[in-house]
Amino acid sequence: MGVPVASLAVALLVGAVILAVAGNSAFEAYRTMFDASLNGWTAFSRTLTLATPLILTGLAAAVAFRMKIYNIGGEGQLYLGAIVSSWLALALPADLPKPLMLLVFLVGGALAGAFWASLAAIPRAYLNADEIITTLMLNFIALSLMNYLIFGSMTFWRDPSRQVPGGKKIPESAQLPALSGRLHAGIIIAIVCAVVLWWVLRQTSWGFQLRTIGDSPAAARYAGMSVSLKVLSVLAISGALAGLAGAIEVSGVTKGLEPRSLATDIGFTGIIVAVIARTNPLGVVPVAVFLAAIATSGTALQGIGIQVEVVFLLQGLIFLSVTAGEFFVTNRVSLSRPASTSASGTSTPGSDTAPVVS
Amino acid sequence: MNDTVLVLSIASAIVAGTPILLAALGEIITERSGVMNLGVEGMMLVGGVVGFWAGVNTGSLTLALFLGGMAGVALALVHAVLAVSLRVDQTVSGLSLVIVGGGLSAFLGSSGDPSLLQSPNGLDVNPLFPQSLRDLPAVGPIVFGHDIVVYLAMLATVGAAYFLYRTPSGLSLRAVGEDPAAADAAGLNVVRIRYLATAVGGLGAGVGGAYLTLAVLGTWQNGVTAGLGWIAVALVILAGWRPGLALLGAYVFGGLRGLSFTLQLAEVDVPSDFLAMIPFVAAFIVVVAVSANPKRARRVAAPAALAQPYSREAR
Repeated sequence: MGVPVASLAVALLVGAVILAVAGNSAFEAYRTMFDASLNGWTAFSRTLTLATPLILTGLAAAVAFRMKIYNIGGEGQLYLGAIVSSWLALALPADLPKPLMLLVFLVGGALAGAFWASLAAIPRAYLNADEIITTLMLNFIALSLMNYLIFGSMTFWRDPSRQVPGGKKIPESAQLPALSGRLHAGIIIAIVCAVVLWWVLRQTSWGFQLRTIGDSPAAARYAGMSVSLKVLSVLAISGALAGLAGAIEVSGVTKGLEPRSLATDIGFTGIIVAVIARTNPLGVVPVAVFLAAIATSGTALQGIGIQVEVVFLLQGLIFLSVTAGEFFVTNRVSLSRPASTSASGTSTPGSDTAPVVS
Repeated sequence: MNDTVLVLSIASAIVAGTPILLAALGEIITERSGVMNLGVEGMMLVGGVVGFWAGVNTGSLTLALFLGGMAGVALALVHAVLAVSLRVDQTVSGLSLVIVGGGLSAFLGSSGDPSLLQSPNGLDVNPLFPQSLRDLPAVGPIVFGHDIVVYLAMLATVGAAYFLYRTPSGLSLRAVGEDPAAADAAGLNVVRIRYLATAVGGLGAGVGGAYLTLAVLGTWQNGVTAGLGWIAVALVILAGWRPGLALLGAYVFGGLRGLSFTLQLAEVDVPSDFLAMIPFVAAFIVVVAVSANPKRARRVAAPAALAQPYSREAR
């Protein structure tokens, strides 16, 4: 835990230097950010609202990254979840009992995300097609699809009565109950998912196999584990979590298919969350809250004359600094036992028989 | 579709494909040394904003491309430190470059400098060949109609292929990418070669980004590359890490991106959102198809030590 925290501190320090060079007071900037995101319940509940989808996309990335399967398609899987769940909410009778409607809505979104991930998972499992490239390409395809549904045509999703193109409002029965202000029950679902995933990874044989394959694919194969099936199931779960994030965002925040509000890098930021949390599902929750705090404070920065984009800069610096921090983590491990510097997901067959490390 | 439309779309495909080609060539050199840098998108964005700013303020394309390239190199060296020296997971390190590059370029691009809102009209992006050659039917626009960067990118393709397969340094580079331990034993400096190769990758992406904002699009906006860097990364795989095929592929992708323009001229009505999908659908299909063909997959195999950190002590 020490290294990630130190990495955060380094990133905030570098950010402060850049802010100072750009002619701003870093102290004032960070204080404004703190006030706008963490100081008081109103601010904190706003942060939690944004943290809700980030926890889920963070979990989506974490479970896949744990097995060294690099699903960077959370963004597209989230869009598919939003598209399908909002379709379900609009197509089903609006007077359905709320629990039933919500169940169908959320499960539908999760399945849609899993489906979108499986488009990359199947070629990865059986042809060894690079999942980094395929999941990423699917992001752009899903974004264009969502844009088409709202901006490019008069589809079932689009509200014809609105001047500015936007989605039809989903019925009340498909909306997650509000907890406080804009904060909705989605945060509870997200935290439950984190705990369940943590338990599954730790306590089940599925989780054990996943961790083994992640740490040493050769050893896993030798022990008779089916890597292909594991790739399929891990990407399905990863996609389902991202799809669920999309459904929950529609149900709790946008209340309809709104591309402008949904395409805000929630899926991509989930990757940052997962890496900082070192793919630990329980770590994902506080990290997501922290990154959400940075993101929500962007608009407040504008009030003191600093551009919102500082937020993206800080996110990048944190990610970079935590990545560099991995060196210290792995090296400390290698003092007690030989480091297992395994190859990444794109290595060719046969290359793992000749690793350059012993 | 009449002849003029076809000629114009081929000509524009070459221009639109040039930034992809530059970035892909750089990435080929990087990956041939065993370093995988997924941060091309981030390096292109930073090169794009720095190059655009320099171009508008100085009016010199040369200086703009140079500074854009240097910005790409700077970011690439961050990857080199992480991936080569600190030996962190190269996928994660590359992704961090995408995020840092996106954040840094957004930050720089929003600095309130009004020159970033201008269009680079005064810039010396001129066709290389005289009017008489450019007026030739068909070959005029396609072969002679471009600015100097397009031809330099073609030359760079030939240069990269020559370097990789016909020079001692190219052989050393490939040796480091195939078997760093053996290369090290043979007296090659693995770390230095990998740093240099990563820097060349940054140069290609940075210059490509600057050329994209200055000449191809003529505008800077947040996230202007819109996935082009990732197309370049995919192209490296599709081209089997070979420069010549990368050139062909880059022009095809350039053509796919310009398809909306072409189809509009040809009066074919396809929703623009679907046209925007085409390059990404194509890249997806080709990546899967390349993997599905075992014979081809073996022939165009990745460098054996790609994405594997090298540690002398752990040999």
